[in-house]
Amino acid sequence: MTQSNRLQQGGRIDRSRVLNFTFNGKTYQGHAGDTLASALLANGIDVVNRSFKYSRPRGIVAAGAEEPNAVVQLGQAEAAQVPNVRATQQALYDGLNARSTNGWPNVQRDVMSWVGKLGGGFMPPGFYYKTFMAPASMWMTYEKYIRKGAGLGRVPGENDPDIYDHMNQHCDVLVIGAGPAGLVAALTAANSGARVILADEQEEMGGSLLDSRETLNGAPASEWVEKALGELAGMDNVTLLARTTANGYHDHNFVTLHERRTEHLADTAPLANGRRQARSRLHRVRAAQVVLATGAHERPLVYANNDVPGNLLAGAVSTYIHRYAVVPGNKLVLSTSNDHAYRAALDWADAGREVVAIVDVRANPDGDLVKEAQSKGIRLITGSAVIEGKGANRVTGARVAKIDIDRFAVTGQVEELVCDTIASSGGYSPVVHLASHTGSRPTWRDDILGFVPGKVTGMTPAGGAQGVYILADVLHDGAQAGMQATQASGIDTVAELALPQTDSSRESPACALYQVPHEKPTLRAPKQFVDLQNDVTAAGIDVATKEGFESIEHVKRYTAMGFGTDQGKLGNINGMAIAARLLERSIPEVGTTVFRPNYTPVTFGAIVGRHAGELFDPERYTALHQWHVEHGAEFEDVGQWKRPWYFPQRRRAEDGERWETMHEAVARECLAVRNGVGILDASTLGKIDIQGPDAREFLGRVYTNKWAKLAPGRVRYGLMCKDDGMLMDDGTTSCLGENHFLMTTTTGGAAAVLEWLELWHQTEWPELEVYFTSVTDHWATMTVTGPDARKLLSEITDIDLDRDTFKFMDWRNGKVADVPARVFRISFTGELSFEINVQANYAMHVWKTLFEHGEKYDLTPYGTETMHVLRAEKGLIIAGQDTDGSVTPEDLGMQWAIGYDKPFSWIGKRALARTDTARQDRKQLVGLKPTDPRVVLEEGAQIVFDKDQAIPMDMQGHVTSSYYSPTLESGFALAVVKGGQERMGQKVYLPMPGGMTHEAEIVSTVFIDPKGERQNV
Amino acid sequence: MSDTTYGNVATFDTRPDMAIPRESPLSVAYHRGSVPAPSRDGQVLLEEKPFLGHLILRGGAIVLDEALREVLGINLPGRPLGLALDESGECSVQWMSPDEWLVIVPGGEEFELENRLRSKLGEAHFAIVNVSGGQTLVELSGEKARDVLMKSVPYDVHPQNFPVGKAVSTVFAKASAILRRPAEDRWELVLRRSFADYGYRWLLDAGEEFGIGVKR
Repeated sequence: MTQSNRLQQGGRIDRSRVLNFTFNGKTYQGHAGDTLASALLANGIDVVNRSFKYSRPRGIVAAGAEEPNAVVQLGQAEAAQVPNVRATQQALYDGLNARSTNGWPNVQRDVMSWVGKLGGGFMPPGFYYKTFMAPASMWMTYEKYIRKGAGLGRVPGENDPDIYDHMNQHCDVLVIGAGPAGLVAALTAANSGARVILADEQEEMGGSLLDSRETLNGAPASEWVEKALGELAGMDNVTLLARTTANGYHDHNFVTLHERRTEHLADTAPLANGRRQARSRLHRVRAAQVVLATGAHERPLVYANNDVPGNLLAGAVSTYIHRYAVVPGNKLVLSTSNDHAYRAALDWADAGREVVAIVDVRANPDGDLVKEAQSKGIRLITGSAVIEGKGANRVTGARVAKIDIDRFAVTGQVEELVCDTIASSGGYSPVVHLASHTGSRPTWRDDILGFVPGKVTGMTPAGGAQGVYILADVLHDGAQAGMQATQASGIDTVAELALPQTDSSRESPACALYQVPHEKPTLRAPKQFVDLQNDVTAAGIDVATKEGFESIEHVKRYTAMGFGTDQGKLGNINGMAIAARLLERSIPEVGTTVFRPNYTPVTFGAIVGRHAGELFDPERYTALHQWHVEHGAEFEDVGQWKRPWYFPQRRRAEDGERWETMHEAVARECLAVRNGVGILDASTLGKIDIQGPDAREFLGRVYTNKWAKLAPGRVRYGLMCKDDGMLMDDGTTSCLGENHFLMTTTTGGAAAVLEWLELWHQTEWPELEVYFTSVTDHWATMTVTGPDARKLLSEITDIDLDRDTFKFMDWRNGKVADVPARVFRISFTGELSFEINVQANYAMHVWKTLFEHGEKYDLTPYGTETMHVLRAEKGLIIAGQDTDGSVTPEDLGMQWAIGYDKPFSWIGKRALARTDTARQDRKQLVGLKPTDPRVVLEEGAQIVFDKDQAIPMDMQGHVTSSYYSPTLESGFALAVVKGGQERMGQKVYLPMPGGMTHEAEIVSTVFIDPKGERQNV
Repeated sequence: MSDTTYGNVATFDTRPDMAIPRESPLSVAYHRGSVPAPSRDGQVLLEEKPFLGHLILRGGAIVLDEALREVLGINLPGRPLGLALDESGECSVQWMSPDEWLVIVPGGEEFELENRLRSKLGEAHFAIVNVSGGQTLVELSGEKARDVLMKSVPYDVHPQNFPVGKAVSTVFAKASAILRRPAEDRWELVLRRSFADYGYRWLLDAGEEFGIGVKR
């Protein structure tokens, strides 16, 4: 294939570098500096896609982010697939592989187009809703085929091989857009010493100056751009981000910038210096001030068949000629409502191709560009417009006629001009999208025929973004905005910038034209497209208003105008203007829809950043983690902690040697603790050091039970309630000294409890002299438990472990394995237990020494599952498992841990006296013994009293904890049952899905050693 | 003696008085072998400073300032987010909150320091808590150290906003960390023990493109 549309000279491409690329399976050539779009146009590719709904052939329309049609699927390998790429924004690289996202089986022969063609009048807005509504169950079937026919690309079926990251940025002035206004604003701010970030979404910075016919300081504008960029690049206080789209503008000037770092090089990121680099990066910018220099998008005119390939924006024609040396056709007809668009015809003529005519809707245009066109002998047809394009896969002609805008009618004879390209311009729409993200509504200005950004605190629009289009004015406006933003960021002295000289020409006023009238009424005329990406036509808006949709938000949702990745860049203003005309209102009365992030699609990788794989969420390790890993522990996530769940061992069975199942491992671990000695890593328990003369008083206020008489050396179990009287957390607290306590919390509750203590101290009782400090990570905790615990520990400690001097619920200082330790005689298993606490850096030594000495006692490491079984056998609750924020200590039968007569009204006391918390038929904690000992009830299973009751049955409670006990050789459970404490010995029923009903007896929560003798030995 | 009582508070020397094998919070990472050697073209260097003495001080600034100056020779940082170091740079005091400071001293000196501060402070209302086992200090240096931090913390680490002598507690990836700037060319992160491995993995990942190396 030859690049038939490529000019021999000019452009910003490097003709010496030929790049091969593939589009829809065919190979073509382009040059370094091309976008995929410019390379396709250079090769004369007309049809690049099929439209979303009608499956009509579509070509390239624009040259930037506003391109609605040339949305392609990129990537060679499956893992490197990227959907939703605009060909106009994708730099060409050698080996690039792109496919049309629509069109099945392909863009040239498309099945859906027959639906579209037949459908002409049969596919009004709401077509899919209306047609495939019934039966509802069939939608899933319809949808599969509709999606196949009409979609916008597909996600890769394999894992993304690339890496992505985030960068937090801060600056005084963030300038979005590096066109004339942005460059001048950035220079002004930077010269004044501000920290500046200048971001631009294109491959090259410079914006409109790169395709301008105008000069700056007498030289081509691009030369000034180069100089300005050189200056900025040399400054320490400036960060230049090319290929970077501001995709979201959030509250408080938090702006996310999506930087595509390697997408111009290959479909997966190449190595840099032999190392992996992020494919794209999301900059999370917190800017004191934002200068919005995003320019304006040209509005196409809405005429019949304005979607046939070969219909382009006038400005895009100029861009392709100037930047890429590509003329996208041979014979041009320009249809315009303003002077500015004349550049397209002049550039076309300068490129040596034929301009058939300029069709201007105005009666007497007389600006400098108009005169220049006339002087070149270009035919000018005034008071007229292109009312219809001809052709199927490429424009073959343009039907031109005199029109009357006020009467919305064609008033003269139609002339058909032979051409292959129709360029149109209906004026310019400032890019207000980002400002709209903040919730600020744009304002309509009649003088510029466009919406300008609404007010956003800390944001200054500049240049085209606020409807300033003449280059000299744009530069001045950019300087003003730069100055204003710099000062607002707190820098008083702003250096004034010498602006370059322009040769701006005089322009005659533009005319307001959106939809062009046709001889036939809108509903009968050939399709006049408003939103090309979503296939929304003027007729569709007509139907919507006729069906009673008057709010522009409703029109949008009924027609899909401005939906999805397009976000109404080309079509929205035209659509609103059409709705306004039909509703006989003004455009500001109709208003705009809301533009939402993202401005253009952002790859998920960039949003995720490095928070993926093993870094998805923090993994918290105890000081003994390495030992657990080496000893084959299966881990359980408890909050962010990795806790050993159980330690499976190899076992010899009938079917050969194999790993224990979890059930087998847990049974073995449980029996080891009940009959010998086991050890648990309990380091994850929350620990809070409490010091101060009022520490004891404070404990009395936050716990339900009494603390006044707990002596140094003693430990007490405590319950903590929220102010609603519901259990929040539990744990033991030890008295270390008269003014010094060590509180323990549940693993999951540690942070919340510390915050709770601080909250009450700082807001309610600041007069209490007490300080709280987390020491969770400082101490490692090892629980040695079982009948042999004392024998084992005594071998390696200097602490007197005698049962009468070191009693249950005592703690002692001493050494364990030569390491200073605090040992607490508390028990969560019901067995003789010692909790050894040492500084975490020494924990591994102590743990290993215990195992050296423990071998003869068959010391068995156990995990959280065994811990759960053992504690449940003793009726010991776990806050958050047996309670759920609606359970009081009284519901748990723990009246023994409530100090009703304490002098100060502790947190939750008043709530316990409420009628509802005091009633007798609340759900209360009980034990459940299944009649069939082989049954392990399901946790969460509902409990009923009458198993024969018809559904819906009266639910009387539910199972909170349930396990198999190897000691009892039976399943057993804890549950909450209405009035349960008065129902001991009664039978309850648990109906299961599938029809089976379990029977169980309400029993005490303590299943083993009800007198508690074993822990006291 | 590992056990002393000052007034009504029990102090406790958690260090053994003999050589005992010990493991820093990064030991799991070291066992895993993820310790990239510093390379010639590496632009970031990571080094753990394990086993230092870490004390949390709570109390009024005026009371603590005097005691600290006398006992440690360092003025309490007068301003929020302040970090004060002694001449050797080995002892530091960091502002944490209006009545909270972090003191870091060479490993083994923390218990002696606590006792001296306690006898100096007498009956005043204060708290001293030894947290040496619960956190570790990681030093970052090299020309791209700041870039690695920009990937990791939302706080502004530009020298204009983060001069030498500043320290903050901030979000670090999906956890939190203390970030300090003791010298022009060095940054310090204080990581909680249980989050240290996550933080270390994060730093190696974020520093990969700059050829991060670990000094051991």
